[in-house]
Amino acid sequence: MSNTSPTSVLLSVSASPFWHCGRTVRAHRYHTLLALLPAVLLAIWHWGLPAARVMALAIVTGVAVEALCQRLMGRELSIDDFSGVVACLLFAFLLPAASPWWLVMLGATLCITLGKMAFGGLGANPLNTSLVGWALLYVSWPVLMDPNAMQLTTQYIDPLVRLKYFGAESVASISLTDLLLGKQIGALGASQTLALLLGGIYLATRGIIRWEISAGFIMGVVVMAAIFHTVNPVQYASPFFHMLTGSTILGAFFLATEPASSPDRQIPMMFYGLLGGAMVIIIRIFGEYTDGVPFAILLVNLLSPLLDSIRPKPFGGK
Amino acid sequence: MQPFLKEFTKGLWKELPPFRLVLGLCPVLAVTKSADNGLGMGAAVIFVLTLSNLIISLVRHIIPKKVRIACFIAISATLVVAVELLMQAYAYPLYQQLGIFVPLIVVNCLILGRAEAFAAKNPVPLAIADGLGMGMGFAMSLTFIGGLRELLGAGTLFGKYIMWEGFQPFAVMVEAPGAFLCLGLILCAMNAFNHWQARRKGQDAPENPMPGCESCRACSHGK
Repeated sequence: MSNTSPTSVLLSVSASPFWHCGRTVRAHRYHTLLALLPAVLLAIWHWGLPAARVMALAIVTGVAVEALCQRLMGRELSIDDFSGVVACLLFAFLLPAASPWWLVMLGATLCITLGKMAFGGLGANPLNTSLVGWALLYVSWPVLMDPNAMQLTTQYIDPLVRLKYFGAESVASISLTDLLLGKQIGALGASQTLALLLGGIYLATRGIIRWEISAGFIMGVVVMAAIFHTVNPVQYASPFFHMLTGSTILGAFFLATEPASSPDRQIPMMFYGLLGGAMVIIIRIFGEYTDGVPFAILLVNLLSPLLDSIRPKPFGGK
Repeated sequence: MQPFLKEFTKGLWKELPPFRLVLGLCPVLAVTKSADNGLGMGAAVIFVLTLSNLIISLVRHIIPKKVRIACFIAISATLVVAVELLMQAYAYPLYQQLGIFVPLIVVNCLILGRAEAFAAKNPVPLAIADGLGMGMGFAMSLTFIGGLRELLGAGTLFGKYIMWEGFQPFAVMVEAPGAFLCLGLILCAMNAFNHWQARRKGQDAPENPMPGCESCRACSHGK
């Protein structure tokens, strides 16, 4: 710089991208939390304070563990982006309201450590953070994780358990309005179907989640269930029943759409959703488990790198 | 005595087979549902590895270079059949537990790896020391990972219940995913420990050793 004249200005150019739309991880998570709020309130209304206890415990444990992990890894503390809060809240949504405290704390710890920090933190997880913890707990303690076995003081019934063990005729009398309003036994947040549907539509219209994944997922569930239902309506339940029970809506709008573990382009996203939805029905009909949504999403999460290889040919490329 | 001791002890920590060399992972993942199984498998591997190292080191000048792998496999297969028959005769319950993984010791890359990387190049006493050390390190690791999985997944250790009353076993640990989880976490802990130790001594973080690497020639490490 010795020969620079005093009047010249040093211009520096930083690396691209130069344009930023102003979206941040934190704003993304704020919107998600806002969309989950009706379901949180309804969950407390339906299941009482135990539901609030499970959600609060999961969030507090998860955030504390995330802060501890980041400290141990020598990373900048980034718990204020609320990604851990959302992941742990979604994890709590999949638990029965009567879960023991240690189960909630262990699950939230596993979500954050094995689901997220082991792979390098935010955005590096190949599987949905909340579902990793859920799956480990579900395989280990199937009874404690089963809402039907845990919620004994309610007059609601578990539609999926009834479908599995008593056949489609026994669930034909359940009104879809009841299912929509959350009058069913299920995981504490996942059963608040209408609230989740509203929240999901809000996120999709704001562009926070990609509608292709959610639409594909619901279409996969409905089409697959419709095929079975048309072939044999006595044995298989209706597509709307499958859409409104278990955690289908939670999965479609909140779990399958997690940005890190889902594909990035439109066509792969649709395939991803469709495959996930179809897998839900396959697990529900042929599988051992009553609700196939979490396992179906974990499976398609693993497929998403493969689906990402469906990409447009660049101009002049081979 | 000095080189003998050095070759023996390297397998016990510095080049611990499953956790440092990351060799022989098939039995590490498959048979470590309990500490008993891990120890039994480890004992079988000590036997096969020591004897195969001994025999290969004895015949290392006779074997033509081009057919050496086949010869190594033939020798270790013979020994594995011996172990299998011994196990059937004296430890039949253990044999039933381990099942197919006893014959699979033949294709365990630890056996072939030590034969290729060490026994085929070194005199008999050193080869025996290497086989014994590696085998004992392997048995130790298998028992450790088996004990950990058994303790968390069933609350027992060597079949004795030792956890507190009302302990709810973390059943995923004795299932297949638990093996991968345990192995990953142990590797992570080993690396973290080494980095911490190196930092305390003021050295650079150590690389994991890659023995046998030079014989493969797939990349620039091979000569």
